[in-house]
Amino acid sequence: MKHVLIIGSGISGMACAVRCAEQGIHVTLASPFPSERSQSVMAAGGINAVLSGDSQGDSVDSHIQDTLRGGCRLGGVRAVTGLCENGERILRQLEGIGTVFSVDPQGRLLRRAFGGQSYKRTCYCGASTGKQIVSALVMEVRRYEAQGLIRRRLWCCFHSALIREGVCYGALLFDEAFGGLDAVCADAVVIATGGQNALFGKTTGSTQCDGYAAGKLFMQGAELKNLEFIQYHPTTLETAQKRMLITEAARGEGGRLFCRKNGRTVYFMEEKYGPGGNLQTRDVISREIDALGDSVFLDVSFLGKSVIDNRLSELRDLCAKYGGIDVYREPIPVRPSVHFFMGGLAVHLNHETNIRNLFAVGECASMYHGANRLGGNSLLAALYSGNVAADAIAGREGRQTAPPDFSAETEREKQLLGQDRDTQSRFPVMYIRDLLAETMQKNLGIVRNEAHLTQGLKDIDYYLSIAGRIHYDSSVMPYFNYSLTAILTLARATMACALSRRESRGAHWRSDYPETEEAYQSATVMAYDGGKYSVRLDKERAYES
Amino acid sequence: MRVSVLRQQHPGSDPYWETFEYDGPDHNSVAGVLDYLNYHDDIVDTEGRRTTRIGWECSCLQGICGACAMVINGRPALACETFIRDLKGPEIRIQPLRKFPVIHDLVTDRSSIHENLKQANVSIGEYRPSAKTDHAHHYAVAKCLKCGLCLEVCPNYVNGRTFFGAAFANDCYLVASRNRSKTAEIRTLYAEHFGKDCSKSLSCMEICPMKIQTLASIARLNRGKL
Ligand SMILES: Cc1cc2nc3c(=O)[nH]c(=O)nc-3n(C[C@H](O)[C@H](O)[C@H](O)COP(=O)(O)OP(=O)(O)OC[C@H]3O[C@@H](n4cnc5c(N)ncnc54)[C@H](O)[C@@H]3O)c2cc1C
Ligand code: SF4
Repeated sequence: MKHVLIIGSGISGMACAVRCAEQGIHVTLASPFPSERSQSVMAAGGINAVLSGDSQGDSVDSHIQDTLRGGCRLGGVRAVTGLCENGERILRQLEGIGTVFSVDPQGRLLRRAFGGQSYKRTCYCGASTGKQIVSALVMEVRRYEAQGLIRRRLWCCFHSALIREGVCYGALLFDEAFGGLDAVCADAVVIATGGQNALFGKTTGSTQCDGYAAGKLFMQGAELKNLEFIQYHPTTLETAQKRMLITEAARGEGGRLFCRKNGRTVYFMEEKYGPGGNLQTRDVISREIDALGDSVFLDVSFLGKSVIDNRLSELRDLCAKYGGIDVYREPIPVRPSVHFFMGGLAVHLNHETNIRNLFAVGECASMYHGANRLGGNSLLAALYSGNVAADAIAGREGRQTAPPDFSAETEREKQLLGQDRDTQSRFPVMYIRDLLAETMQKNLGIVRNEAHLTQGLKDIDYYLSIAGRIHYDSSVMPYFNYSLTAILTLARATMACALSRRESRGAHWRSDYPETEEAYQSATVMAYDGGKYSVRLDKERAYES
Repeated sequence: MRVSVLRQQHPGSDPYWETFEYDGPDHNSVAGVLDYLNYHDDIVDTEGRRTTRIGWECSCLQGICGACAMVINGRPALACETFIRDLKGPEIRIQPLRKFPVIHDLVTDRSSIHENLKQANVSIGEYRPSAKTDHAHHYAVAKCLKCGLCLEVCPNYVNGRTFFGAAFANDCYLVASRNRSKTAEIRTLYAEHFGKDCSKSLSCMEICPMKIQTLASIARLNRGKL
């Protein structure tokens, strides 16, 4: 009986679990909280797929080309082809399990236009596409739970993988329910832990996306890829705790960006790019706002009550609730914010990492999006990657022999955790996480340069040097404490990737190297060995097979 | 401003009230208040005694994940969308949801919501809608956060052993109306775990952060008009 351990229960984790269960594989689906709390529920805009019989003349090939172009030729052709070719199948499957898509009176899926795409190919569920897909997948997982094929484990956080000689045999989970470590053996482990938002503190995403799993696996020998490519969303509303996404639909409906110069209102995007200025791509607008260095506003008030109430009601409510802003009368103060990570764990076409039987899917894996992601492609990638990993695992012989004995390693980790717990210190790990966020925001912003990146590396090296020597407040969840070093290590790797790419491409913009260089048309791969970081360009395209 | 929190160190330990002085921004939400108390400085109570950091759960911080459900000034609500400016009185009193076992401070174990749905196998399986579907209501119902606020206020919901509450009824509605071959089976389960004990106080609808019209689900399931 084959058994897979999936860590993370957002859309990618659930997609993988369901596909495994369909093929008779037993699944343990571990996460600290239920799927309803995952970042996936926040996806609003939609999911891309070309549907057969498209009357606009759209084609799978066009979806492939748009994705490759959007990714500035860093997304692997074979991977992207697989993604786009499976778009319709995945959409039909979601429909088939009862996802509440927005449909026309004949029940056909509606589609909307999204940036960087030649046709309207983004299917959606009102303004809550991610949430609706999560709800449908939760039910599908439940069906297999009832059959005994999927077992959810809540209150469980990833601690480390059980790896021997380049092969993964399971993972250690920290189980909040009994407050200790549990070794779970499996024929394969799938990491589905989402993006690495917490490196930057306040972002548009969930507090649960902290990058720990990717950082820890990196320290255990897994390679990372394209970390420097981080998508900033140009229009977010800042609150005390986060940056809330102000939907692109606001500009789609005619919303105008402006700033104030000497008491004058300046529509800077329109002045520079003409009437379509407000609908330039996310990276272009983010860079323009960054260059202005001024407060920027998004005005929808002139659109009138009827447009706002009928088409932008969610935006109206969000601004009123979290910003005290009356969008009928006032402009919305906006700032760019970290939004999506194109980089992550390096995986082959079958979503296996360089460690055998260790897979990564969803936003924590780097595939498909190259140097920039098209809106609507990440939900598709989360679902598709979950399927691909499941199929690869299903097509493989289960392990015939008993796994090696990991009891010594497990005991050692238990002891370390115990020591942390016995400390009387009150020093919160969050103080270092806040310092890290400041460093990342300041030095790995929308526009980078060598001086800032070098300073960023120096800062993180300092945090790393003290992280291991401080005892942290033992009254918080142990996970917060043990996760710090790996989070810092991931941040360091990210900074180093950005420093090594001496060109500008997609979401990575260097003021000291403003041109796109042919020599850099390969993925950045980062490896770690006992404290030594080494970066290389994947010129042989090893991760495209 | 005074903030009192009902604390509990471990699942089995005794709960106790602890009071803090909040001197942070007045535009904060209760989630913001908790963050501020925890990390603005060392955490001390109103007597200046050092204490442990307050445990609470969060994820999206914008009212769409249901993690931060708790009881604020006697009213169950999401902390991230309850603002100080809207609270009355000189003090904020925060306690964990009372219908679920406490894990730590304001963190509760709401897995009974999922366990009950699993036990009853409430799942669509295959999309085979009935002829006249109410798309808008399906959409609204599928936005359920499984936050448990509706169960917290319900006079009939005790511990979820027999009566499963509004979150269950809404999922039953979604399944029964999106797969007509399951309608009969689901209506039986619904009657057993919801219909026969619901006294229609409808407090669940008033409290629901997603504004789900549970009454519409109930009416249709009761009448079999899906
Ligand atoms: C505001 C917003 C809007 C978006 N809109 C769109 C859109 O319109 N279209 C689109 O295509 N994409 C969109 N995206 C991106 C998309 O939502 C994500 O890329 C996608 O949902 C990621 O899914 P996932 O399964 O990889 O990760 P997640 O949904 O983030 O799930 C991660 C899971 O891992 C668990 N986890 C994390 N760390 C650990 C750990 N250490 N141990 C155990 N478990 C752990 C979490 O609890 C969670 O269950 C949006 C993102 C945001 C933030
Ligand atoms: S019905 Fe409303 S209150 Fe009840 S769990 Fe769902 S979202 Fe929460």
